[in-house]
Amino acid sequence: MTEITNLVEQVKRSTDYQINKRLLREKAMADMHLPFEGGMFKITPELLGFVASWPVDWIILEDIYQNPIEVDKVVFLAQASQLYNKTMSNWHREHEKIKRFRKV
Amino acid sequence: MKKSNDSEKSKGVVVFAFNTEQVDYVKIADQTSRLIQHNLKLPVTIITDPTAETKFDYDKIIRVESSSGNIRTLHGKSMEWKNFGRYTAYELSPYNQTILLDTDYMVLDDSLLKLFASDLDYQLMHTSHNPDRVIDTAMGPVSSLFVWATVVVFKKSQYSKQFFNLVGRIQKNYGYYKNLFNANGNYRNDYAFAMANIIQNGYTPNNEYSIPWSMLTIENPIQDIEIKDNFAIVKEESRAHVIAMQDMHIMDKDFLVSDRLERLVNVLVS
Repeated sequence: MTEITNLVEQVKRSTDYQINKRLLREKAMADMHLPFEGGMFKITPELLGFVASWPVDWIILEDIYQNPIEVDKVVFLAQASQLYNKTMSNWHREHEKIKRFRKV
Repeated sequence: MKKSNDSEKSKGVVVFAFNTEQVDYVKIADQTSRLIQHNLKLPVTIITDPTAETKFDYDKIIRVESSSGNIRTLHGKSMEWKNFGRYTAYELSPYNQTILLDTDYMVLDDSLLKLFASDLDYQLMHTSHNPDRVIDTAMGPVSSLFVWATVVVFKKSQYSKQFFNLVGRIQKNYGYYKNLFNANGNYRNDYAFAMANIIQNGYTPNNEYSIPWSMLTIENPIQDIEIKDNFAIVKEESRAHVIAMQDMHIMDKDFLVSDRLERLVNVLVS
């Protein structure tokens, strides 16, 4: 294979960091969904903060399907925090990796 | 292969695979089912032709006569597509909770398992994106949005049964429903499931029964997919994408029937 052919091959396979970054974020957002007590919640910093600040043990939260779901604050917070931490850690680690995948 | 028994029978995956002259869908199903087994740890049932030869160790093989095919244009080629009868999944599924998948859906993580925890009777994929954008899903210029019947999750319930019966009614009377919804083109399961969902929910477009994330679809022809450092590197003709492990809907049938898919699956399940 000549140098120019190699170059063409490389260019052809150039990968767009911005697309990869967007696809990775899409996956992270999907992974943030937590099924709980029959409802489905998207875990966000706002939701975590709100639930953590709630003064009593039981709280009724609106899930993504606009249904009110009664949850045990402590149990929900434990699962939601764990999912948030795991997802963000994966996202961070994978994001660091895709930065190095400018060319494949 | 994990077989369903009385205690485990409640959850499983069903795939439809009917070969056409152009595409060996059973061959594709044999490979994508290995991914299902590896990543979801669920039994897989295939619904296929009476004479189809399978290689994967399916939980159950349900053989039914296929009806005549439909025609669809993909990558500039007209292709036969035996897509009728999907509504029978409700009656044919041996599982109480079923993930109904197209054979061209590659399961690369366990995210679908989350959907079993939902109280919803059925869940449909409302949104799909390719590497560039969210894919338009209008059934016609002045119609409603379709759903992706590529992934349907349902449990055995009266509400689900009614829904699938309605999909069947729409298929059998498609001329009427096509006009009712101003839909374009031939029958598509994507359209029929969307129409049934709208009708069943009071003739109201809704996201009530949606899978809450977007499906990644690779629409372009694929030269190869390599696995590197837990990323899938999807090589198209003039570019490549580096994608963290996640489910993918692959449209390129030439890739799916090729040995490249088998090689990829071998790497993924090793």
